Amino acid sequence: MEEKQSGSPASLIDSTVVPGDVVLDLSSMTNQTIKLGGGLRQDCDAISVMKAGTLRFSKPNKYWVESSQKRYTPCVEDAVLGIVVDSKADNFLIDIKGPVLAFLPVLAFEGGTRRNIPKFEVGTLLYLRVVKANFGMNPELSCTDASGKAAEFGPLKDGYMFETSTGLSRKLLSSPTCPVLEALGKKLSFEIAAGLNGRVWVNAATPDTIVVVANAIMNSESLSGAQQIIMVEHLLKNIQ
Amino acid sequence: MEGRLANAWRLTANDKSFIRTALLSEIRIDGRKPYEYRKIVVKFGREDGSSEVQLGQTHVMGIVTAQLVQPYRDRPKEGVLSIFTEVSPMADPSFEPGRPGELAVELGRIIDRGLRESKAVDTESLCVLAGKFVWAIRIDLHILDNGGNLVDAANIAALAALLTFRRPECSLGGEDGQEVIVHPPEIREPLPLTVHHLPIAITFGIFSNDSILVIDPTHNEEAVMGGRMTTTVNANGDICAIQKAGGEGIPQRVIMQCLQLATAKAAGITKQIKEAVEVYNTERALRKIKRHPTSIGVNVKEKQDQSVDK
Repeated sequence: MEEKQSGSPASLIDSTVVPGDVVLDLSSMTNQTIKLGGGLRQDCDAISVMKAGTLRFSKPNKYWVESSQKRYTPCVEDAVLGIVVDSKADNFLIDIKGPVLAFLPVLAFEGGTRRNIPKFEVGTLLYLRVVKANFGMNPELSCTDASGKAAEFGPLKDGYMFETSTGLSRKLLSSPTCPVLEALGKKLSFEIAAGLNGRVWVNAATPDTIVVVANAIMNSESLSGAQQIIMVEHLLKNIQ
Repeated sequence: MEGRLANAWRLTANDKSFIRTALLSEIRIDGRKPYEYRKIVVKFGREDGSSEVQLGQTHVMGIVTAQLVQPYRDRPKEGVLSIFTEVSPMADPSFEPGRPGELAVELGRIIDRGLRESKAVDTESLCVLAGKFVWAIRIDLHILDNGGNLVDAANIAALAALLTFRRPECSLGGEDGQEVIVHPPEIREPLPLTVHHLPIAITFGIFSNDSILVIDPTHNEEAVMGGRMTTTVNANGDICAIQKAGGEGIPQRVIMQCLQLATAKAAGITKQIKEAVEVYNTERALRKIKRHPTSIGVNVKEKQDQSVDK
């Protein structure tokens, strides 16, 4: 969704919006390209909101609505964690917690050709990128970044995957680093992959580290930054 | 077909192997020990006979209602106790709306058996007029969220609702003494049910490798475990029912171990339910007392005067 239009940035940024709100008027914007993220749609010259949440803006030109929910609505360029459900001749069917299953073309891998189609068993966990998310179509995924490199995408081995709300997984990815991860990282070493669809994967050397990290993250949902740090310290004290 | 595939909840291969390997070193994904129960929260509604139970993430609501009906022919002096389960896709997308699934039926049956076979609820005291009118007690169990171990949570909800339920008092009257008069709650205080003991269901999950036993399995563990056994025991150590449906077999030694563990847990859970009911009853009694704001003011003043006199 790209728009060649004009105008000044909206004043509703970082405030709560509800479905039907018009946040941008394209007729008053000249020579400007904007990118629309999840929760926004274009009706002629008006950009209106489709779900309740907070309107966010990131420089230079990206707008989206942030909310926290259990079900994920696919959106282009989101990094997600998917589970392989089935494999067909051309596509893998992937569950990304969306309303419908997503397609992962068998060639959407770095250097993918007909000869070297990867084999994934049902239940394999993959770190993926959403490429297409149109209405009435199954979303399309890819295992490469925009330039065709594998980057960090691909299957995740071992570890433990748990489900959170979409809001929490977005917080984990935010910068500066989320306090709970900061506090955990000081004492423990672990690997983490957070998908914007509310799935988080954790891997560490021992199972008890994984359990501690996973539970700390799940508990942090409704806590403030300072509370998160206290909670993590308390948890770590119990372990040692 | 595809719609159903998208709605089904699924576990990754990673999680399956992690749950198994972690259990080998006696670690469970929520940080519990194998024989540790999740935290139970029992809440009550404003109406008598409604309860809400939270067992970790699992959330069940129980509602008890009563109705005057004609008794069964072969048992003219006994009241009727029936259990209905409501499992909606809201709790778990894999539940289908409409016709009750296998799980919903089994859930109702286990609780029904525990309550009925052990004669926990005194059905004879529910008789109003032999052969004509008895009270039919109906327990509705609504599953609000499925975080695993629905049986235990639903069982606690049913017990808590039964303990707080009160049926209207009724007496016989009319010209021939055969007419039933139901007294409204404002005129005569409604009567609680006679519950002799509390049959507590305790569920065990059995993992095939090295016959590992866990108590109160979560949603994820339920998807991995090889078998399940529900034992219904009361705080006195009486065994009310055992349910072991399919799956992994269990040796006799393990069953005895389960029963010992269950009896110990049942005592704690019974205590917790009774305490919660006690709190509810006190609150209920306090609500009944009518206070006049003026009279309180006068009392305080009098007391002050007295203290000054002293």
